[in-house]
Amino acid sequence: MTGRGTALLVALLATLAGYLWVTERRPAPAFPAEPAPLLAVPTAAVARVELVEGERRLTAVRGERGWSDAAGRPWSQDPVSDLLAALGALRPLATVDPDPATPGDYGLGPGGRRLELAAADGRPLLALELGERNPAWTGLYARRAGERAVLLVGGVLAWELEKLRQAAPGGNP
Amino acid sequence: MRLYLRLCAAILAAGALTAAADEQPWTLEASNWEKGKDLLPEPVVKRLQKGEYWFKVVSADPGKFHHNYSQAFWDATEKNAGKYDLDEKTCGLKDKATDKIPDFVFGLPFPAVDKADSKAGCKIAWNFNMAGAQGGGGGATFTLNGVDTGGQFRRIKAFIHTRGYQGRHFGPLKDNPESLSGEAIAGALEPVDVEGVSTLTKRYWNWDGQDAVWAYVPSTRRARRVNSASRSDPVAGLDIFADDLNCYGGKVEYYQWKLVGEQTILAPLLQPYPFGSKSVSPTRQLIDTPYMPAGYEVPNAKGAPWWIQQNLVFVPRPVWIVEGQSSDPYYNFGKVIMYFDKEMYRIYWKQVHNRAGEYFYTAMCGYHFVKNDETFSAVFPNLVVGVNDKTNRAALGGRYQSSFLEQSWDPSYFSLRTLTHMTD
Repeated sequence: MTGRGTALLVALLATLAGYLWVTERRPAPAFPAEPAPLLAVPTAAVARVELVEGERRLTAVRGERGWSDAAGRPWSQDPVSDLLAALGALRPLATVDPDPATPGDYGLGPGGRRLELAAADGRPLLALELGERNPAWTGLYARRAGERAVLLVGGVLAWELEKLRQAAPGGNP
Repeated sequence: MRLYLRLCAAILAAGALTAAADEQPWTLEASNWEKGKDLLPEPVVKRLQKGEYWFKVVSADPGKFHHNYSQAFWDATEKNAGKYDLDEKTCGLKDKATDKIPDFVFGLPFPAVDKADSKAGCKIAWNFNMAGAQGGGGGATFTLNGVDTGGQFRRIKAFIHTRGYQGRHFGPLKDNPESLSGEAIAGALEPVDVEGVSTLTKRYWNWDGQDAVWAYVPSTRRARRVNSASRSDPVAGLDIFADDLNCYGGKVEYYQWKLVGEQTILAPLLQPYPFGSKSVSPTRQLIDTPYMPAGYEVPNAKGAPWWIQQNLVFVPRPVWIVEGQSSDPYYNFGKVIMYFDKEMYRIYWKQVHNRAGEYFYTAMCGYHFVKNDETFSAVFPNLVVGVNDKTNRAALGGRYQSSFLEQSWDPSYFSLRTLTHMTD
């Protein structure tokens, strides 16, 4: 092979290598990021749980002997722990309305149900407005406090909240 | 004084009349749905309110209902008190005397369940398992019907044959070389595109072994081992799952169980008291039961097309509410909520969430009891109405008119050879 032929081959190889380098360096198509769980911190960090439904307020405060209500009456441990475990595992299924004109259509808005979780120092860890079940009953509408977007959250959250109500110290008010 | 006596008599008579009226069958329907709001799972109440479902409610005498199981069963249950415990790691049944899995169990292993016991959920599951096993084995030919709002869209006719080694009346079988708790062969008979597709399942009597499941497809003439987590896959694309048989079809050890409550619920039964059986051989007894037509089969039927129209009654029964969850990553269900009879240990309803926490499915599981005398009884799962609330479709399973109990199968029947030669 002549020197000219060798040079041509080297040039061709370099072109091909350059092409590969350019095309392969392009970022791979990214899968949509999985939404964060509703409770993004370890459940052990939660020291206070409050569920407000109209006039009714259920409070669970973590103490040395487990969970108790605002009056110091002990909670059965399981329903509070189960609720926190569910919040730590549940991720929004969908954003059903990024900016609803009438949040009341989803059971959200002033006077609606609220679920608030706080750390031992009072720092809010999660604040959710809770709306109605969706028509198929598979989930319920919710939105994070201070945000407009309405989320659909798995119906297991409604089940855990019902367990919490049933286990309230002093009976289900 | 006479006036006082008359008054007392009148009050007593009124009370007796009221009690009698309470025991009269009544219909729970959309117009009086409030009476049923605490007697049914929430998604079912929603359909009751809309007039899609209604319920013929029948009272059952608690004492008589208790005797749907034989005296032999209840005597064994009483003797089991204090005999068994649970393996901490697996929730497997443990003989306290040996700290090992017991050789043979008959009756409820845990006659008294304390709701404050952290292991109560698993004990309930074991009672369920052993109550269902008392018949020993048998079979039936049944249908699976896919139904949507337009009517039936698919029908499959199939059979199932079972043999139980544990929990059966009359003691253990002589030969159990594979150390099984039970085994089953099931196969499709119709339509022709699925004819011959069949499965063989062997469930091992141990704490940590997975079921061995083989599936046979005639077109390939091969039996392939399949994952036992496939119990949570839809059967033939219908809204029904292998795990719907008895409302839970897995090994107790597959789930983590948690008792979360108790209530009264409407139990779907063909009739509140047992059917008799007739012997057709020294080891085989036949049971005839009426067909349960669904809305899609009855002209001008009311309600959802999949709702049972005749031959089903609902008996108010006290139940444990138990959550079950599998840790198997290949199992499709997330949290499952089940309603177990506190005395007869049947699951009447279950609500299923997927692994994302989304509720999607409720199954109603109906039964009938069989008893000839106090030495033998059995309870059959005869109906599953599985409703996918996400897609608003349903599937019906069971509804057979004839079933049988078999005490002595050919030892080699439940084998790969049978599986691969059924269509020969």
